[in-house]
Amino acid sequence: MSRDTGSPVGRRRFLKMAGGTAAAVSLAGCGSDGEGGDGDGGGTDDGNDSDGGDEGDEMQEEFEVRITQGQMPSGLDPHDHRETPTDVVMLHAYEGVLSRDAQGAVVEKLATEYERVEDGHVRFSVREDVQFHNGDDLTPEDVAYSINRIVQEDVGFASPQRDQLAGVTGAEAADDERAVDVMSDGLNPVVFQEFATYCDVMQQSWVEDRSKDDVGKEMNGTGPFVLEDYSEDEEVVMSRNEDYWRDPADVSDLTFTAAEEASTRVNQLLNEETDVVVNVPPQEVGRIQGDDVTRIAAAPSTRVIYNAMRYDVEPFDSQEFRQAMNYAVDLESIVSNVLDGFGERTGQPTLDGFVGYNSDVDPYPYDPEQAEQLVEESGYAGAEIELHTPVGRYLKDLEIAQAVAGFIDELDNVSASVNQRDFGALVDELLTGNIEDKSPPTARSPATATRRWTG
Amino acid sequence: MSLARFLLKRTLQGLFVIWGVVTVVFGLRFISPGDPANVLLPPDVSEGTRQQVVAELGLDKPLYVQYVDYIAGLLTGDMGMSLVTRTDASGRILGKLPATLELAVAATVVAVVIAVPLGVVSATRRHQPADYGATVFSLAGISTPNFWLGIMLIIVLAVQLNLFPTSRRPVGIDDAFAHLVAFQFGLAWSELTTWLWHVTLPAITLGTYFTALITRLTRSGMLEELGQGYVRAARAKGLPETLVRYKHALRNTLIPIITVVGLQLGTLIGGAVITEAVFNWPGLGTLIINGIQARDWPVVQGSIIVIGVGFVVLNILVDALYAYVNPQVTYD
Repeated sequence: MSRDTGSPVGRRRFLKMAGGTAAAVSLAGCGSDGEGGDGDGGGTDDGNDSDGGDEGDEMQEEFEVRITQGQMPSGLDPHDHRETPTDVVMLHAYEGVLSRDAQGAVVEKLATEYERVEDGHVRFSVREDVQFHNGDDLTPEDVAYSINRIVQEDVGFASPQRDQLAGVTGAEAADDERAVDVMSDGLNPVVFQEFATYCDVMQQSWVEDRSKDDVGKEMNGTGPFVLEDYSEDEEVVMSRNEDYWRDPADVSDLTFTAAEEASTRVNQLLNEETDVVVNVPPQEVGRIQGDDVTRIAAAPSTRVIYNAMRYDVEPFDSQEFRQAMNYAVDLESIVSNVLDGFGERTGQPTLDGFVGYNSDVDPYPYDPEQAEQLVEESGYAGAEIELHTPVGRYLKDLEIAQAVAGFIDELDNVSASVNQRDFGALVDELLTGNIEDKSPPTARSPATATRRWTG
Repeated sequence: MSLARFLLKRTLQGLFVIWGVVTVVFGLRFISPGDPANVLLPPDVSEGTRQQVVAELGLDKPLYVQYVDYIAGLLTGDMGMSLVTRTDASGRILGKLPATLELAVAATVVAVVIAVPLGVVSATRRHQPADYGATVFSLAGISTPNFWLGIMLIIVLAVQLNLFPTSRRPVGIDDAFAHLVAFQFGLAWSELTTWLWHVTLPAITLGTYFTALITRLTRSGMLEELGQGYVRAARAKGLPETLVRYKHALRNTLIPIITVVGLQLGTLIGGAVITEAVFNWPGLGTLIINGIQARDWPVVQGSIIVIGVGFVVLNILVDALYAYVNPQVTYD
């Protein structure tokens, strides 16, 4: 598809054929695997609605797609990472017992059923018609082994995904039944949600026959794409799994590369050297929209960007002062001017559709006069505060922090400044509790969130 | 002093320098903020898992033990394990070295091919339009930040005019060479042209400052040589001006240029970081940036050490070459 591949299909045609799924290719597996959704392969059936069946059939023959992310996967072991770029690649070759559909609901994947047997005990029935890429059948023992490889260090290693299966203590294949029993250390109310996101299934014998190093360089999953070639730090090349247990993907060849600089990714897209790029910053959106053979697709994210305040130190130990900080910041302006509209305000840490969301809680309105009055009431008029921010870690993090501090600084009775911090050092201080040389926080979670908006 | 003795002496000195580099780089890791485990693991990970990962990475050992282990590893070519990919760091680093060397050499070639003729023209046509043009070019080249130049070249020559690719290195020169050796001339030619197509913009970007520098150096060197007595004597005995300029004056001018080119090549290897990032060129620079962001210290340390070794080796070679091309310089 991209110029380097020499594919006969041009960019204009690619967009037409891929329909609505083009930009969702790299996100497949994260949230679009519902029954019938069939989003695994990218460019699957639901993307061809507008173009009739003929072109879709053509794609079945040869449809090369190159996806450029910000980073290459840190390795190919699906249990040995916690990064999104790695997960995006993994989910094209590996699958879990459960997944989520496009609406975020938990759905079956390699499991045909799932049930809660009793407190601390759930059971997954394992699908029968599934083979690994090496042709071997999927067994309940493989599923149990994969779970244990994450949660039991003596089975696998200290997997960074251990905490994503919080509460799970182990699994074993059920006797006389094609199922897996999963045990937790007591009632585990979110166990199915955990399995909907983590625990890709690997083949036990395949893993045990290989060194840890080799497991990180090869792939043998049950997913819609088979690994063809892996050059560490350079590219991952996959081809369509023709024996996939669902309909094979329309995409025939899938290549993942990486370009750290966002402008480089956009340039590659505009020059037709790649087909899909991810993480386009707001300032680059215009360039993509301005080109007649590229387009941008914005998808809602669950990332909540917030500024945290320490409620155990002055002046934030005053509720009035904390409320004042909320009234002082014009979120609407930040969303439109800093994020170019690619964000939404939210007044709480949980988003609509998630457990715990309260539709009665709205974001604070922008009211600087109210803010100044609350500061007076708090008794901290004249306070000087400093906002510590990482730089480049999150989308527009510094710019957002500068805007927030700017709004607060406009109050007559508070002055605010920004302190740009190295992310590693900032995390260190948050974890050890010595930020501003004050008493340690009680937990890793920030004390009190003030302003939240999605980005 | 013989050449062999000279090389031996400089190699021993070089080893001390490299040891110093290793020690400083190792020490930097411990005064730099950021615990690699905190960067590698999400903030919500449990303390137990964190400790497990820290122990697995060997970060819980005393500093001197880590230092001794590291030096011992280096002596056997082992730079430790990448904290991000959990694979051999030396493999990752050496895998990136060809791309960086290619880019540095290509930039040097671009610089020398443009700068030396330009410098000569500038000197021989002093105070004429060609001289002024070359001077302006030099000034612009020295003043232009290469990250800006790279982005401009991409936007104009790649995105707008479609003459070059924007980035990437789909093949290396070593791939073309491998096919050449295997008598697959068609493949070798195809890969060579693909490589040239991709390396042109990064090489121009990286080499522009260097081009400007060499142009000025050549100009001033030529002017100095052209004012020497031997040039006057050569002209007096009726030698053609071309012979005087290019056989005698330029030859002597090239001596300091060789030194600068050699040393500058080392700078280019270490200084390609930004250019590599802009052009997505998978070399040591990209590796170092990613390594620093991920606190992947074994990779960062190893990369800096490899660059340091490159500097030392180039220095020794340039010194040896300098004494060879200039008989007035001895190996003492």
